[in-house]
Amino acid sequence: MDQAWILPAIPVAIFIVVALFGRLLPRQGDFLVILGGLTVVGLVFSMVPGFQGAFHEGHFAPDGANAFSFDWVNIGQGFFIIPFSTYVDAITMVMLPVVSIVALMVMIYSVGYMHGEARYHWYFAVLSFFIAAMLTLVLSGNLIQLYLAWEGVGLASFLLIGFYWERQSAAEAAKKAFITTRVGDVGLMIGIILLWRATGSFDIQDIIAVAKSGQIDHTYLTVSMLFLFAGAVGKSAQFPLHVWLPDAMEGPTPVSALIHAATMVVAGVYLVARFSPVYAEVLIARDVVFYTGLITAVMAGTMGLVASDIKRVLAYSTVSQLGFMFVALGTGAVGAAMFHLFTHAFFKALLFLGSGSVIHATHAQEVESLGGLRRKMPWTTTTFVIGSLALAGVPVFAGFWSKDEILAATLEDAPLWTYVTLAGTAILTAIYSTRLVLLTFFGAPRDHHAYDHAHESPWIMLGPLVILATLATVAGFFALDQVGQSLGFVGGIGQLVFLEHAHPFTEPEWLLAGIATLGALAGIGIGIAYWHGDARRAVAARQWAPDLHALLVNRYYMDNLYQAVIDRVILGLGGVIAWFDKRIVNETGVDGGAQTVGYLGYRLKFLQTGRIPNYALGMAVGLITIAAIAFGKQG
Amino acid sequence: MIPIQSFLVLSALLFAIGFYGVLARRSAILILISVELMLAAVAINFIAFATYRDPKAFSGLVFALFVIAVAAAEVGLALGIVLRLFRERRTANVDEANSLKW
Repeated sequence: MDQAWILPAIPVAIFIVVALFGRLLPRQGDFLVILGGLTVVGLVFSMVPGFQGAFHEGHFAPDGANAFSFDWVNIGQGFFIIPFSTYVDAITMVMLPVVSIVALMVMIYSVGYMHGEARYHWYFAVLSFFIAAMLTLVLSGNLIQLYLAWEGVGLASFLLIGFYWERQSAAEAAKKAFITTRVGDVGLMIGIILLWRATGSFDIQDIIAVAKSGQIDHTYLTVSMLFLFAGAVGKSAQFPLHVWLPDAMEGPTPVSALIHAATMVVAGVYLVARFSPVYAEVLIARDVVFYTGLITAVMAGTMGLVASDIKRVLAYSTVSQLGFMFVALGTGAVGAAMFHLFTHAFFKALLFLGSGSVIHATHAQEVESLGGLRRKMPWTTTTFVIGSLALAGVPVFAGFWSKDEILAATLEDAPLWTYVTLAGTAILTAIYSTRLVLLTFFGAPRDHHAYDHAHESPWIMLGPLVILATLATVAGFFALDQVGQSLGFVGGIGQLVFLEHAHPFTEPEWLLAGIATLGALAGIGIGIAYWHGDARRAVAARQWAPDLHALLVNRYYMDNLYQAVIDRVILGLGGVIAWFDKRIVNETGVDGGAQTVGYLGYRLKFLQTGRIPNYALGMAVGLITIAAIAFGKQG
Repeated sequence: MIPIQSFLVLSALLFAIGFYGVLARRSAILILISVELMLAAVAINFIAFATYRDPKAFSGLVFALFVIAVAAAEVGLALGIVLRLFRERRTANVDEANSLKW
């Protein structure tokens, strides 16, 4: 366990090799990257036995070495230390399988999807780099390393969103993603610095210990936690920094599956979960987390309802589900949040890869070009439907279990109206996922050219879909203690990621589960009623409330707002500063100085008459002056 | 005994005349003569002080000898320059050597 640093080291090495030599390698190095992915998965599974068996009370981690650290920077004999450290505990052990399995699926899928693309080797190289950064982030034992990895995944995201940089919209989307998350990252950095000032250390466990002991001023701690959350808001696309994720769909679809569904965007959730013992001390900050998640879940759900591009719908869905996770964290239910992270990664990646299959076959993303594809692409349809059922929260499938846990936590620890809102959003989730399935795979084909072109995808792409569909079906059962125990753990996932007290998912509460199921089925029912066939009801609804529809399609005009702010405030301020630089610094200071010297020179040059008597006179005058001063001083 | 002041006044007068000559003459040779005048004045000054202050010490007299030697060397050099100037410009008029101007 203390050799955990090997996990990111392998993909980094592969990244360097494939980036530098990719073009020369056979098959451009994709097999190397997949090999790396397999190795990582293998190593992760070899770490699992260490986590079986009982834990000590209050410890996340088993006995033995689970931390590794060496000081990388040490200034002032311990005053300022940046270590390189890894820390493995139960939260890490939930993230590692998610990251490694989904990454491997995406890598294998990409071999088929990206076949024949330009810069193929670079795609795989950056994919490897991303895995390395994500693993570092998850294994990080200290905040500076986490921040470095945080920026690393942001960089990989930028590079991959802008993979087709010849397209202006892709380049813009990549910029938007990076800049928006950067806004959050500033907050994260401030939070890190504040915490260091209070505790003198960057080590995460040290900080948690100091915070729990009550040595830090309460307001100070609240503010630090809020800044930390700002970073999470940016990276996990929560309101108000959610605007980059829908645009990020410009990247290749496997990228969307990996980065913007399963791994990078959950970095924010991971961060807050890691610091959950501290958030438990500063409940105001935790409430901010809760309400941010709630607002985001509702907003994104409504926007997903009207989006016309398959990937956009899934993007909004991701934002909404991340909102659910933050709601869970906001009530202190870390286990529920991590569980939802776990299941969501699988079914969302499945949905994205499925949509990629559709896009690959029809070369179309807009829903108006699709329809009736189930006859042409049966495997894709089946797996996609499984993913949608998981997303909607239908029992048996994974999403039901995790979503139910979150709803239970909300009912217990939050005002009733929030539970109702969240349950309503869950119904909304069922509605829009049904809408997506119906519009894409059922009904009559809307674009016959695309429909004729459609064909089932090759097995290299279907394989990952099937594996992920299986996981989306069975992953939910991890909640049950019986399943956990039979696998050798002390209990279900609730027992695995507990806080001070165990929050076991021993028995599902039947009433709650019943309500959730009814909600999911109702949502599906509404979806079918409105969108089946030629979607008469939906079209009518659109005409019944055109302003509302416009509001949703235009994403609540938030992009316009941000653009206006950028144009007026930021570019305006930039104009003022540019004016200052041009007029005052350059023209007056620099040019003015030069011109003054030139003018003086022009006037003074006439002193040089060349006539010797003049010079003699000058010498005489100077001599007399000096003599006068010297004798004046003496006298 | 003649009071020392007369020698000092003489020396000052000669120096002033020489100074005026350096500044106001056009011909290079005349400027050189004026310089010599100034040097002579300085020598008189030294000798006066040397004789009147302390007859046994003769550092002032030695200094006057130095002045003569320096004057001789300097004139040699200066005449060489004037000759060169004359060969280039066909005139010893100092006003005409003004090409190093703005």
